[in-house]
Amino acid sequence: MKKDYVESTTPPEGYDPQREQMLDFKVEEDLDKLCETDSKNFILTTVDELFNWARLSSVWPVTFGLACCAIEMMAASATRYDIDRFGAGAFRATPRQADLMIVSGTVTAKMASRLKRIYDQMPEPKWVVAMGSCAIGGGPYFKYGYHVVKGVDFIVPVDVYIPGCPPRPEVLLDGLMRLQDKIRGRKGKFVQPKWVQDYASKIPYVKPEKGR
Amino acid sequence: MEPNAIHDLLCAKLGEAALEYVDSYEKGTVIAAAKIAEAATLLRDEPELHFEQLMCLSGVDWDGHDAEGKGKSVAILGYTEEGKPELSDRVGDGDLGVFYACYSHRHGHKYSLFVRVPRDAAEVPTVSHLWPTAAWHEREAYDLVGITFTGHPDLRRILLEDGWEGHPLRKDYQMPAQWQGVPLEGRSYAANPFNEADVVLPTKPEGGQG
Repeated sequence: MKKDYVESTTPPEGYDPQREQMLDFKVEEDLDKLCETDSKNFILTTVDELFNWARLSSVWPVTFGLACCAIEMMAASATRYDIDRFGAGAFRATPRQADLMIVSGTVTAKMASRLKRIYDQMPEPKWVVAMGSCAIGGGPYFKYGYHVVKGVDFIVPVDVYIPGCPPRPEVLLDGLMRLQDKIRGRKGKFVQPKWVQDYASKIPYVKPEKGR
Repeated sequence: MEPNAIHDLLCAKLGEAALEYVDSYEKGTVIAAAKIAEAATLLRDEPELHFEQLMCLSGVDWDGHDAEGKGKSVAILGYTEEGKPELSDRVGDGDLGVFYACYSHRHGHKYSLFVRVPRDAAEVPTVSHLWPTAAWHEREAYDLVGITFTGHPDLRRILLEDGWEGHPLRKDYQMPAQWQGVPLEGRSYAANPFNEADVVLPTKPEGGQG
């Protein structure tokens, strides 16, 4: 079985554990060299990272519920799941104060122009999350829905797709964290912690049939 | 009153305009389309009947539901290689209809009225001056089934946008490809999405974000 991650016991050259602890993310090696030669770039990159950290820490969504996915979105913002833990709990009543649009539900042909207008009214930088199978690709209305746009990415660019019909609040929270990764600009593959890998290796795994 | 007695009363008052008695789950009378407003007035104002509430008004496409098998719905025969559905090319020729469900709070009985109109000239007199709630229901029936209610004060589309072509709940309705520049056709990953062997899911790009 091909591994998705690289295991190594010896640290690479130039590995500084203190520096790795200070920075939550791994700076690319080319960027490191550039920073050593030119101090301007170092400052500029740091400001970008600071700004990105500030942006991902308070993503304000616009209050925009379309269908039954909006019920799950409300549940995610209520006490049990509490999307405010991730800084995205301030649902704004106007798109001019928001920087995230959670398209939660079916986008009808009548709603498409309104959705585009709300997206255009949001200030840059702005992100879009397509929540649920209707917003991803039409969902159950794919074949006979004469009034449904088959995917909100026909209208606005989408950053994160959250599958489900409707997705549970945990999945919405996970999609929000993936969006935060995107805002942070993190590169590379997502590596699970060691204890998760060990736990997953003990679960009996049935290989799915070919073609599925 | 019993439904049979209501039908006999309607026959006595309306004469030939009361066409036949419908003995289904919803007991009712088929009324000639031109006389529906008079029949509704009778149901509402007659002291023995006193149907002061119109519970529902629905537009119906009877295409394919006639007793002699007149007309069938548009059927999907199969799929082309581009994933477009192949439709049978017949055009619906069955009747359209309107269904009125009335209820009397005073007497606690309910009764229904049915109207059948030909597809080419689907015109029914309005009952919105008798029951004001019929105004929105008639707009819905006009919007989705395409029945014109003569005498309606404000007969516009209520659900779809103005300028929409066709009436979607008619059996011979063809889905539009786009509306105001927004495509309404989906992107299919397979020629026949119900055949699992044809489905090829998009592969994950290398080096993508985790």
